[in-house]
Amino acid sequence: MLRVEELSVCFGGLTAVNKVSLSVGTDEVVGLVGPNGAGKTTLFNAVSGLARPSSGRIIFDSVDVLRAPLHRRAKMGIGRTFQIPQPLHELTVRENLLVAQRFGAGQVDQQKIDEILEFTNLAPKGDREAAKELALTELKALEVAKALATNPKLLMLDEVLAGLETSGKRRFMAMLKELHQKFAVGILIIEHDIETISNLCQRVVVLNFGKLIADGAPDQVFRDPEVIKSYTGADHAGSR
Amino acid sequence: MLELILQALFSGVLQGGSYALIALGLALVFGTMKVINLAHGELVLLAAYIAYTVESSLGVNPVFAIPLALLIVCAAAVLVYFLVDLIRQDRELNSLLLTYGIAIILTNAIQLIWSADIRSTGSAWFQEPVVIGPLYSMRSELVFFVVSLALMTGLWWWLSRSWYGRAVRAVSSQRDAAKLMGVNPRKTELVSFIVASILASFAGVALFSYGVIQPSYGHVLTVKAFIITVLAGMGSIPGVLVGALLLGVTEALTVTLASSALQELAGMCLFLLVLFVMPNGLFGAAGRRG
Repeated sequence: MLRVEELSVCFGGLTAVNKVSLSVGTDEVVGLVGPNGAGKTTLFNAVSGLARPSSGRIIFDSVDVLRAPLHRRAKMGIGRTFQIPQPLHELTVRENLLVAQRFGAGQVDQQKIDEILEFTNLAPKGDREAAKELALTELKALEVAKALATNPKLLMLDEVLAGLETSGKRRFMAMLKELHQKFAVGILIIEHDIETISNLCQRVVVLNFGKLIADGAPDQVFRDPEVIKSYTGADHAGSR
Repeated sequence: MLELILQALFSGVLQGGSYALIALGLALVFGTMKVINLAHGELVLLAAYIAYTVESSLGVNPVFAIPLALLIVCAAAVLVYFLVDLIRQDRELNSLLLTYGIAIILTNAIQLIWSADIRSTGSAWFQEPVVIGPLYSMRSELVFFVVSLALMTGLWWWLSRSWYGRAVRAVSSQRDAAKLMGVNPRKTELVSFIVASILASFAGVALFSYGVIQPSYGHVLTVKAFIITVLAGMGSIPGVLVGALLLGVTEALTVTLASSALQELAGMCLFLLVLFVMPNGLFGAAGRRG
């Protein structure tokens, strides 16, 4: 469904993503891991349309979307969340989802909205509260809910668990486990915690300094010496 | 003396209605596009001059000019939008220069077409006095105050209930997030420009119906709208209304108690005072930046 080919993204002289190729299938949950600054979020930005790649191709559903503007990619079925939640502050939780559904999915289906609110534990907040009133766990849930409301085929989750306390994290994990099946959506997830990734994903892709260094099953990848080195920083200690 | 002050308060409130319409237009466009349209006051003035032309050439009440004003002002606003849209780099700053230039061109075009003479309505129906207890107003002031309130209610409904209204709020609130939700930002910006010019058209006809207009009045209106928007702290209709009433009342009191020459200065002083004391505006959320 998503195929990224030889994708590079440069900021001035810095190559944040360096000739990365990867794919995500409709029925896959793929983890994207790597140390800070490895280019994970930049890759997300390039696929969703926020960053302009300097070379390479992004094929989604057999269509080259490299030149498509953000809102069109969203309509095609590329959904994402931000590590720092970006809700529509002034709108209520339900309105956030309604806008996403009307403009992203093209039609309004209140029942589906209720289902998403229920699933993301936001149902009690739905109509009453403006998004700016929410706590962090709820904001993170709203990120997922907004993306789901656009009826995505691919959902890119950027560190949805980061910053949550333990109980929030546990609830979120349970939700993520169901997400893929319940909404029939392919998932690409950025996460630091190796256990979380092993738990959720069938496949892991590892980035380091913008380059792809491993792609395979979690237990295999996390035993790869190069991956371990990149994580423990054996070679690069002090260079960051 | 008390009666004079009461009268000033009343006139100020009535004047505030049109001010609010102008300010809401400026705020809408700023919200979606982060562009301060410095030609907004000239668009209002254009509507006022269309009202003058319709009244003087057809001899009818200026309200009948509203459809024509809507048509021409919306067309002009769409043109302004496409010009601003051409700016790809540093839009927030460069658009100030562009819209300021457009404002100057419009001012001069208005002067060329309608001459620099001061114009006001000759409609007897509009100028008829309406007396409510100790308070006096022209019929046109009351009529357009009610129209302003109705338009603001309509705007509120549109923003909170309609899809494009919600899209306008979405883009104003978080541009990138809105795009990722499938909202077409350029379409939304254009819609906000058009809604702003609808409000401007009504405000322009209102200004002509109870006041005097001249070609240089456009930038005065832009400044007033800007002051009100800052007073309100961006983004809430009731806030803009209160800001507009406050400016209207301040101006009216200044005219009554001091001199009409100080009218604009009083508005500026109010503006500075609020910026010093409440930098987020009267209703702006504390500590949150757009």
